[in-house]
Amino acid sequence: MSIGTLTKKVLHAALFDEIWDAMKVTFRHMFHRPITFQYPREQRTIPDAHRGALGLLRYDDGKERCVGCDLCEAACPSHCIKVISAEDKSLPLQRYASEFYIDITKCVFCGYCVEACPVNALAMTKLYEYSTHDKRTLLFDKKRLYEIGERYLADAKKYLFAHNQEKDDQDSREYRYFFPQSVQKPTQPGPPKHLT
Amino acid sequence: MALKPVTTPDIEAATVELSIDGRTVSAKDGVSLYDVISSTGKIVPAMCYHYTFDPFGSCGMCLVTVEGKKAPVRSCTAKAAAGMVVRTDGDDLFQARKKAVEKHLSVHPLDCPVCDADGHCELQDMAFHHQVTNLANAKQKLIPEDTRSPVLDFNMNRCIACGECINVCKDVLMIDALQFIKKGGFTQVVAKGDTALACEFCGDCLAVCPVGAITNKFSKYLYKPWQLRKTTTTCNYCGDGCQMHLETKDNEVVRVTSPLSWKNKWGDRADTAKGHGGICVRGRFGFQYIDSQARLRQPLVRRNGTLPEGELVETPWLEAMQAVVDRLAEVKAAHGAQAIAGLITARCTNEELYLFQKLMRAVIGTNQLDSSSRYGHLNFVRAVRHTLDVGRMTNDCEDITKAKAILLVGTNITETNPLTAVRVKEAIRVYKSQVIVVDSAQTNIAKLASYPMIVTPGTEGLFVQGLVKSVIEQDLIDAETTGKHPEAFAALKRAVADVSLEAIAARTGVSVEHINEAASIFAEAPRAIILCAEGIVRRPDGYQNVLKLVDLAWITGKLGRPGSGVNTLTEEVNEQGAVDMGAAPEYLPGQARFDDEAARDKFAKAWGAALPAPSSGANLMEILERCRSGAIKALYVVGENPVATLPASLEVRAALEQLELLICQDPFLTETAQMAHIVLPACTYAEKEGTFTNLEGKVLRVRQSMDPIGESLPDWHVMTSLASGLGSQFEYESSQDIQSEIMKLLPGYYNLGEPRKLSPKPDAYLSNGYVAEVGSRYGVVREAVSERNGHRPFGLVMGQLLYHSGKLSTQASGLITIAPSAGRLHMNAQDMERLGLTEDSRVRVTSGQGSLEMGAKADLSVMPGSCFFPEHFNDPPVKDLMPVEVDSVTGVPYFKFAWVSIEEA
Repeated sequence: MSIGTLTKKVLHAALFDEIWDAMKVTFRHMFHRPITFQYPREQRTIPDAHRGALGLLRYDDGKERCVGCDLCEAACPSHCIKVISAEDKSLPLQRYASEFYIDITKCVFCGYCVEACPVNALAMTKLYEYSTHDKRTLLFDKKRLYEIGERYLADAKKYLFAHNQEKDDQDSREYRYFFPQSVQKPTQPGPPKHLT
Repeated sequence: MALKPVTTPDIEAATVELSIDGRTVSAKDGVSLYDVISSTGKIVPAMCYHYTFDPFGSCGMCLVTVEGKKAPVRSCTAKAAAGMVVRTDGDDLFQARKKAVEKHLSVHPLDCPVCDADGHCELQDMAFHHQVTNLANAKQKLIPEDTRSPVLDFNMNRCIACGECINVCKDVLMIDALQFIKKGGFTQVVAKGDTALACEFCGDCLAVCPVGAITNKFSKYLYKPWQLRKTTTTCNYCGDGCQMHLETKDNEVVRVTSPLSWKNKWGDRADTAKGHGGICVRGRFGFQYIDSQARLRQPLVRRNGTLPEGELVETPWLEAMQAVVDRLAEVKAAHGAQAIAGLITARCTNEELYLFQKLMRAVIGTNQLDSSSRYGHLNFVRAVRHTLDVGRMTNDCEDITKAKAILLVGTNITETNPLTAVRVKEAIRVYKSQVIVVDSAQTNIAKLASYPMIVTPGTEGLFVQGLVKSVIEQDLIDAETTGKHPEAFAALKRAVADVSLEAIAARTGVSVEHINEAASIFAEAPRAIILCAEGIVRRPDGYQNVLKLVDLAWITGKLGRPGSGVNTLTEEVNEQGAVDMGAAPEYLPGQARFDDEAARDKFAKAWGAALPAPSSGANLMEILERCRSGAIKALYVVGENPVATLPASLEVRAALEQLELLICQDPFLTETAQMAHIVLPACTYAEKEGTFTNLEGKVLRVRQSMDPIGESLPDWHVMTSLASGLGSQFEYESSQDIQSEIMKLLPGYYNLGEPRKLSPKPDAYLSNGYVAEVGSRYGVVREAVSERNGHRPFGLVMGQLLYHSGKLSTQASGLITIAPSAGRLHMNAQDMERLGLTEDSRVRVTSGQGSLEMGAKADLSVMPGSCFFPEHFNDPPVKDLMPVEVDSVTGVPYFKFAWVSIEEA
């Protein structure tokens, strides 16, 4: 080791050169704009097409859109949706979901269910904060899904619009399928004339 | 209706040659071109075609080009002719078929997401295959749904007017309950007369509907076809043993479908001789009991005292089994094995019936056991075993379809065994069979029959006697078969010498000419089948009546001739299996006589236990008698319900109250189970594996389609642990283990749906024993109708309804919706008028056994002088009005018929 190198080393040690080097980075960042968000105090702006928690929607007149067709269940790649459908006895021809479950712990947020829905009853919202101490509450039932749908209705509509699925409520009624309205009056009062 | 030659197997047609897609094919002249094309293996799409009926030609999909014709032709309605040059593929045909699909779709509602047929829809498949993506000029029909029927909903918006439902109903089932009607500008399917559908509700229209126009009310909107797990199993209602698909979702039965479906539409018409694949109302709509709320879910043990006080308390299995074992061992130690008896239902599988009798005989050591075959089927089995040395009906069902003459005695076959009835109908329709129906009611089959013989109630046996006499009088005897046994024939002639046809005509109410006509039709037919059932085997002298029918078949030369023979119908699915498995005191498995030394040695060796003494056995009636006298202290009842089945005069309740220990093993808390000390929850057929033997001896698989409900266990499982508890190690881990044991002991029994052809061997009996017996068979014409002297003018028949089977079906909410317990007596309308009764009046029915008050209703099938009450309901307990008579030979109790008086209450 030469004299020059040794002197340099001693000098560096005496002047705490490594510390100054490190502090240089610190001081430089003190005058930088921060890159991180101070979540949860600060919230990020989320794009409309974001795939967040699922919600169930109603028509503007408050009627449930879901017809209990089980297509979301069929489309779901992670088998997290369970629809139990039934006939609305008061309205013949009306099928509805008597129970609807989404196990959000299993959901992979692919959005296939929304795409499969013939009536756009399902939509994804910008909600992603539903962490909990009790895992059981992550099995969203029909009530919870409708609550999400109501609370984040604007998000849901934007999601559908962004995914090119629905433009407005008027459009939604006639969207892909035409469902015959239930008819409550009997077919005909009696047997036809030529048979009586 | 004229059938094309290929569909009428008896008619020969010339063979022609034609070219299909360049291949030369030979076919019968005049058959449907579509059938010829599909016989080459080429499948042309067709939505209105089904092989079970004639082509209808409404869908316009089966287009092919025929050389010489400008436009494509519909191949289903075109007839094959010599020299035709046919092309079945090509872009032009594809486009033409696509147009046809578009035409159907343009008036189709496209409500696929809510449609029950979604994913199981031929129109969807066709639209997909033909790549229909855009519809010009689509319009909606907007027809309200027809929900008037209790079973089926008709959504005519979805209908494509293929007519399959109407055709299957009219041509295959000969019920003709549906029709087309033009309403609101559209052709629609409605029930006849545009009223609420009221038919046999077999649901075959639902099965063949290629779209979702006909839907099942009991499972409407509950499923999507792809969610269902489909298990092919055997129906457990009647003895037909139909194959069906039980479709489950999350351990719940959602619907039942049949092999008959629009999906299986290609076939040869001659194949229907093996069954058309449909099922009846009970099979299709009577599944709800499987997962009903009333099912027992936990063992129950009676605490705090004995009968009748003390209540049944839910107890864990281990504790309940311990109690069963301890108390059975206690009874056995105190009173010996003869103090224990067992009863089992014929709705159990073969394996369970086998295990039951093994448990009773080898482990407990008693031969006091019986099954529900004792209620009638044993009369038939004992009679044919005695005379012909066969143990079941001598023909298979294919012979019924192909018969030229069918003699139906005492059977309302369309109600009791609907699918065998379809075979009789096919015999009428396709094979032009003559059908003679002998019954006391105007049944549905009598309406279709060429020779309906309506007899006075209770005289069916007498009519058979008349037939035998008439055959001899008219000299219709078969010289060859009677010539072999001249002594026996002479004895028969002597026996019937005193029988007077006029007297029989007077008693039965059928004229001598008609009896003679029926006899000659039967005797002269090349293939003649006798089918006898409850109206003759479950009535007094049932055993003798079967013997008389055997005589009739013998002297007319029908025994052993291909396609002819004596047959019966069974009420419960495995009555035949119960006898075959030895669940009767007189038989060991394989119908070996219990006192046959060789067989006893074989089974004693196989089971490693000594069998009970040959004379110690007791059948149902003897068991009840011994219960009453106190000789039997413990009774093990598997699925049987004698309290609700047998008339009160037998004092079953009192007899069972005498018992120290009554163990009931049942899916439901039946009347008998309510009296039990220990109730064990059993599985239904949907929750276990096994086999059933149907009436023609086919051994049919029963497959597990769902997990057991609650803590219920299969019967074989319970019996295995019971045997182990009693000290005999039964090492069965599944019903397959029991099966392999049966296979070793009864080689050839598991015939995989192909029963061995039986050849009746009457010679031994005819040369030996016949002469001595036949004299008493005809000599005494018993005055069974002694009570019919003015003050008891009505014959009250207790019988089966189409919509129910035993008491089990009353737990199925679907069948109860269709046919609830009305508590009303079915009467002839004229009788009602004569007595001044209306539909609202209450009547008092009095028999020698007592008197009851109930409602009345007019029933078109009931003849004057008779009345009917369904045996499934005990509200009011009409069974208690029945006198009981026990057959002296077979021990079968007869309690389905009584003479009563009816007056307004």
